[in-house]
Amino acid sequence: MKTETAIPSLQATKPTKPRQKQKGTHHVAGYLFISPWLIGFLLLTLWPIAQSFYLSFTEYSLLEDPVWTGADNYTKIFASDTTFTKSLSVTFMFVLFSVPLKLFFSLMVALALNKSIRGMNLYRTAIYFPSLIGGSIAVAALWRNMFGIDGYINQVLAWFGVEGVGWISNPDTSLGTLILLNTWQFGSTMVIFLAGLKQVPQELYESASVDGAGKVRKFISITLPMLSPVMFFNLVLGIIGSFQTFTSAFIITKGGPINSTYMYAMFLYEKAFKHYQMGYASALAWILLTIVALLTIINFMASKYWVFYESDGGKTK
Amino acid sequence: MVKGWSKSFGLLMLVMLLVLTACSGGSNSNTPANEGEQSTEKPGNEGDKGAGAATTLSIMWWGPDARHEATKKALDIYTKQNSNVTFKPEFMAWDAFWQKLPTLAASKSITDVLQMDAAYLQEYVSRGQLEDLSDIDLTGIVDPTVISNLQIDGKLYGIPLSQNAQGLAFNKPELEQYGIPLPHKDWTYDEFFQWARDARAKLPEGKYPIGDTTTWDSYNYYQTSMGKPAVMSDGGKTFTLDKELFMTFYQTYEEFRKAKIVPPAEKAAAFLENDPQADPMASGVVMTRGATTGSVSALEQLMPGKVGVVNLPVGPSGGGWAQSTIFLSVSANSKNKDEAKKFLRWFITDKEAGQALGLSRGIPINPDIYKELEPTLENKDKLGKELYDLSLDKALPFYPPAAGFSEWVDTYKKEMEAVTFGQQSIEDAFNKLEKMGQELASKAGSK
Repeated sequence: MKTETAIPSLQATKPTKPRQKQKGTHHVAGYLFISPWLIGFLLLTLWPIAQSFYLSFTEYSLLEDPVWTGADNYTKIFASDTTFTKSLSVTFMFVLFSVPLKLFFSLMVALALNKSIRGMNLYRTAIYFPSLIGGSIAVAALWRNMFGIDGYINQVLAWFGVEGVGWISNPDTSLGTLILLNTWQFGSTMVIFLAGLKQVPQELYESASVDGAGKVRKFISITLPMLSPVMFFNLVLGIIGSFQTFTSAFIITKGGPINSTYMYAMFLYEKAFKHYQMGYASALAWILLTIVALLTIINFMASKYWVFYESDGGKTK
Repeated sequence: MVKGWSKSFGLLMLVMLLVLTACSGGSNSNTPANEGEQSTEKPGNEGDKGAGAATTLSIMWWGPDARHEATKKALDIYTKQNSNVTFKPEFMAWDAFWQKLPTLAASKSITDVLQMDAAYLQEYVSRGQLEDLSDIDLTGIVDPTVISNLQIDGKLYGIPLSQNAQGLAFNKPELEQYGIPLPHKDWTYDEFFQWARDARAKLPEGKYPIGDTTTWDSYNYYQTSMGKPAVMSDGGKTFTLDKELFMTFYQTYEEFRKAKIVPPAEKAAAFLENDPQADPMASGVVMTRGATTGSVSALEQLMPGKVGVVNLPVGPSGGGWAQSTIFLSVSANSKNKDEAKKFLRWFITDKEAGQALGLSRGIPINPDIYKELEPTLENKDKLGKELYDLSLDKALPFYPPAAGFSEWVDTYKKEMEAVTFGQQSIEDAFNKLEKMGQELASKAGSK
């Protein structure tokens, strides 16, 4: 902002040529300002990304030099790697269930916390608090103990005479426990929803009440549309995040039993750091990036049919 | 005003940038110089018994708490005897160790000294990560045949620390309680299978005589004991999965699953060895479990006085193994190789260190040290020795997975798990493992 206002004043005093020069130095100063970040970004993010793209066309065991193999990695992944298909389908299942569940659950909690009751701040803090340790290893370890064959869940079930299954050690239920864990880590999504709810103008509810709208009607016709941009944001982030799920699968189930929770990110990790196939793992990473990017584009395209932006004059485009 | 301000600020930023880069550049160029000095000084130091330049040896090992404490004590003793050497120890559990090591290897920053296991030794040697230790003089400390067994292409990459053996632990009082005869030394696979069937009839529901198996090594014991070659031999260039034996072995276990001689797959997947609640044997669910000389003491502590040991079932060729499997190695990228080698030799020869370390890594490889420890041994330690003695005469070599087969090893477990969960036939599993194994072998052969 400051520089923009500064330029006209210079213009008034100086002729054209030095102005150009002046503009140039301004750019330099700007780049210098952001250089700590810029250097970090170029060296530690962009360069490794470019490298991984190159490596995805090589065979590279980390300790020997990479050998160019063309598109071999990609052909092998798509043509004959059954683990790839399996881990991708596991991940899709995970995303398909955990994202909507988490959105629904966190919206419900946000609605419950959006009431004006005495001590609400305390409740909010109490409910958000576990999310501070949300994605950590400790929680994953806790989950393992809860859902183990002799875990707390089965102990509670035993009181009611129900014999529980080995939630984690049974291939039919193991993915479900991970989805549940992901849903339980609703904290940040919930906070964003809550902030969105606070933004909904009270007048809308008031005038709807005057028109005789009930609670459900108000929720469907006011809250949901007004909340749709926030919903969209959470949806996109949720999908991206879920595709990269790693910790829970790694700590709780180790991808098992029989690959039933072998998430894509874990497959990628093991290829790279357990079996030293960096080239292959890089190819996997680029495939994941492409999938997530495509899904995000589809999401953005679909968003114009359901996301409502007040600033667009109240049209869903 | 504005112009001057932004210009000078820009300059200031530039200066700061230069200062910062100069700083880091300086420190970068400093470190190698230091290390260079140290390594050039080293040869001279050797003569005057290492009283020279201060050296910090980084060292990493895995194990239980008792081993951590004992090892730290031994390191302190070394520092006391050699005031110029200090240590930067890192210690963790088995899983964490083998997750961390590959990343260290990738960044060429493996610790100077590291503990190594026979199962991984070949892999790391083939990747050039470990230093040749042949020049350490071990005469009179380690049996020459042990050394020659450990050599890879005539070179020694790990100093053996202890004698180890694989056997089977069993729940003595419970077997006696249900009138089941205790397993005897050198039982054959047929006797072992029959014993399991007989024991089933006498055990109450919810208890199982033996555990299920999904890992390649337990099948490899069977295949080698029947006189066939190991699954991987010749450094991974030859791959042998004998279909007939494979089918017999796993069909037997299929029968066992149906007859509830082994626990159901879901239960087996939840077992966690040496966990008080989840250990298959300590939890009282399974009557037997695989155990090694090095690990049986941990089990004994979970169920004191109840553990008996026997060697693995044998076939016409023998069975099980009895040899060193834990080593200390030196990183090929270490800057302190000479100091590290000196420390390695000390580790298995010094009496004081021997006392501090005890049997925390199994039966000490050095007979002199073991003789000193023998009178003070506890029951849990004697058990390990007993297991070793039982296994020794019938023992076959220890067969580690060949370099490049780590993924096959993982796949083996997953394919066999699918069999135990009834999701795949034994034959399908065989075909997949055979195909993958042959591909890897031909790849290793073409190198």
